[in-house]
Amino acid sequence: MILDATRNPPSQRDPRADFFRGVALWMIVVNHTPGNWLGNLTLKNFSFCDATEAFVLLAGYAGAFAYAGLADRSGWLVAASALIRRIGKLYVAHIFLLVVFTAQVGFSAAALDRATYLDELALDPFADQPYRTLLEALLLRFQPAFLDILPLYIVLLALFVPGLALRHRPWLLLALSIGLWVGVRAAGINLPRWQEGGWFFNPLAWQLLFVIGFFIGQAVRGAGAPGVPPKRAWITALAILLLGSGFVAMLAVEQVPFLGEHIPALILDFLATVDKTSLHPFRLASMLALTYLIAHYLPRDAGVLQARWAKPLLSMGRHSLPVFCVGILLSFLIRLMLEERDDWLMQLAANFASIGTLVVVARLAEWQRTGGNPRPNALPAETRAA
Amino acid sequence: MWAMDSIRFLVAASLALLLSTPLAAATPSCVPPSDYLSPPRPLPAAARSLQAGGLRILALGSGSITGPGSSSPDAAWPARLQVILLEAYPGRSIDVAIRGGRGVSVSDHLSLLRDAPIADWPNLVVWQAGTVEVTRGLDPDEMTEAMRAGLERIRRHGADAVIMDQQFSRFLRANSNIEPYRDKLRLIAASAGAPFFPRYELMQQWVETGVIDLERTPRAERAAAIDRLNDCLARALAALIIQGITEAR
Repeated sequence: MILDATRNPPSQRDPRADFFRGVALWMIVVNHTPGNWLGNLTLKNFSFCDATEAFVLLAGYAGAFAYAGLADRSGWLVAASALIRRIGKLYVAHIFLLVVFTAQVGFSAAALDRATYLDELALDPFADQPYRTLLEALLLRFQPAFLDILPLYIVLLALFVPGLALRHRPWLLLALSIGLWVGVRAAGINLPRWQEGGWFFNPLAWQLLFVIGFFIGQAVRGAGAPGVPPKRAWITALAILLLGSGFVAMLAVEQVPFLGEHIPALILDFLATVDKTSLHPFRLASMLALTYLIAHYLPRDAGVLQARWAKPLLSMGRHSLPVFCVGILLSFLIRLMLEERDDWLMQLAANFASIGTLVVVARLAEWQRTGGNPRPNALPAETRAA
Repeated sequence: MWAMDSIRFLVAASLALLLSTPLAAATPSCVPPSDYLSPPRPLPAAARSLQAGGLRILALGSGSITGPGSSSPDAAWPARLQVILLEAYPGRSIDVAIRGGRGVSVSDHLSLLRDAPIADWPNLVVWQAGTVEVTRGLDPDEMTEAMRAGLERIRRHGADAVIMDQQFSRFLRANSNIEPYRDKLRLIAASAGAPFFPRYELMQQWVETGVIDLERTPRAERAAAIDRLNDCLARALAALIIQGITEAR
């Protein structure tokens, strides 16, 4: 189980985290390529949580190993400056992706008949106000579609700088985090966007998931953390019930309209109000239920994690930043490919190309870090978040 | 070893891809697929007013309600809908009004509904929503709240509603995060018990089967293709409304 620090030395990296981060990264690429047939198979089709939730939870988890470990060894100041370097890297990566995205929209828009789809012109603010749009993009107040995860990650890491100082007072940190989540949800507070509205992913709410991931990581490291629920039949039943009801609701509304007609209006009313922007409790609970089941019922040394086919995913999970960024770049390319032609041949080509490239990127990052020597399966904690 | 692992992984991935392949439609016409009208949801208010002599429909929406790019205003889908319903119900008065236009969001629609004089209330509102929201990246949950408030208002005025989603285009699909908005619209319709008109799916199918593909139509033929698209949409929507009226009787 996840907290069984006695069975697993605290310095060992949990392959389950790497595996599922690899899966989440792949799902993020698929979900970022609308029209990709594999998009029908990702987590969001079956559950009220998706790869973004998994990515944020695992980012917090990795943060415990990378920065809490560093802070314990070298002090908060050293860890905080490492975090700030990391934030700088993420910001530069985001701006680079934004430039590529803008080029992609411009390329697609050139082929668009502007008379037919009047409302769609709003997708290209660079055409109307290039300088203002650039400035707003630099301020993270303009985030085009699909370029909203890195800004979220940047703010989460920025909040993590003071959060790290409270790592020895886990209950206080958890209380502050829950308080902030409840507060911004109740008051409708979100970071502002240019023109109107707030961020697609509200970092002030999503920080709770990061903090929970952080505590899971702290517990695995053997550092101080609030207790994580132990393996109990009733919690398991509750988790299965929660995920099961989400699954049935998803299926009924999306896939089987006949079934959907038999769901009481009260439940449909509730489902319509489940928001992603500020991490609705149902989404949070779904993610935690999934984590609970995996942590307790998928052992660290499970066969699936040691299978040959799992190795590329493990490797992707260990190098999430380069894999994430290249994945987003690939998603631009795949969108153009599917825009050009959308048949099974193109679908196969696009998906083979993307997964193949991600595996190569992860492999290159591995080589770069180990100087060409392949890593053993169980890995020591790293000094940097993957 | 590594190459082998990767190949196995790719084989598994391609199998998964084949399993998730959507079934292609066979008919190369703009007749909607047979399962498109299910589940049937009744339109009692529309049925009652039609029985009493006439039906007043309000098309509430953004850019597409004015039929941009078509040969004349009569070719836009609301105008076509009126003609088709008149053919279906001879001797009744059918009136289709439009409100909204380019860049008009769901929150604006809500104020339009609030400001509508009582005497002008329609029996059926066709609410075309979600395009402005997705292109501007507005909060899908604010869209949901506004629509739920609007649907409640429509219900209190004793009228029915039909929800229509976005147009399909490769550009919109590739450059906007449309799925969350489409999911929300379907949920909103289901929770209000309102028929859902899946314009996006229909148009996508027409593009994929080569029936109407505006993005690949030569400029000279475009106005004719846009007219045809509006007519096809109006026919599909009329079928949905007629089914709802029949269902309510």
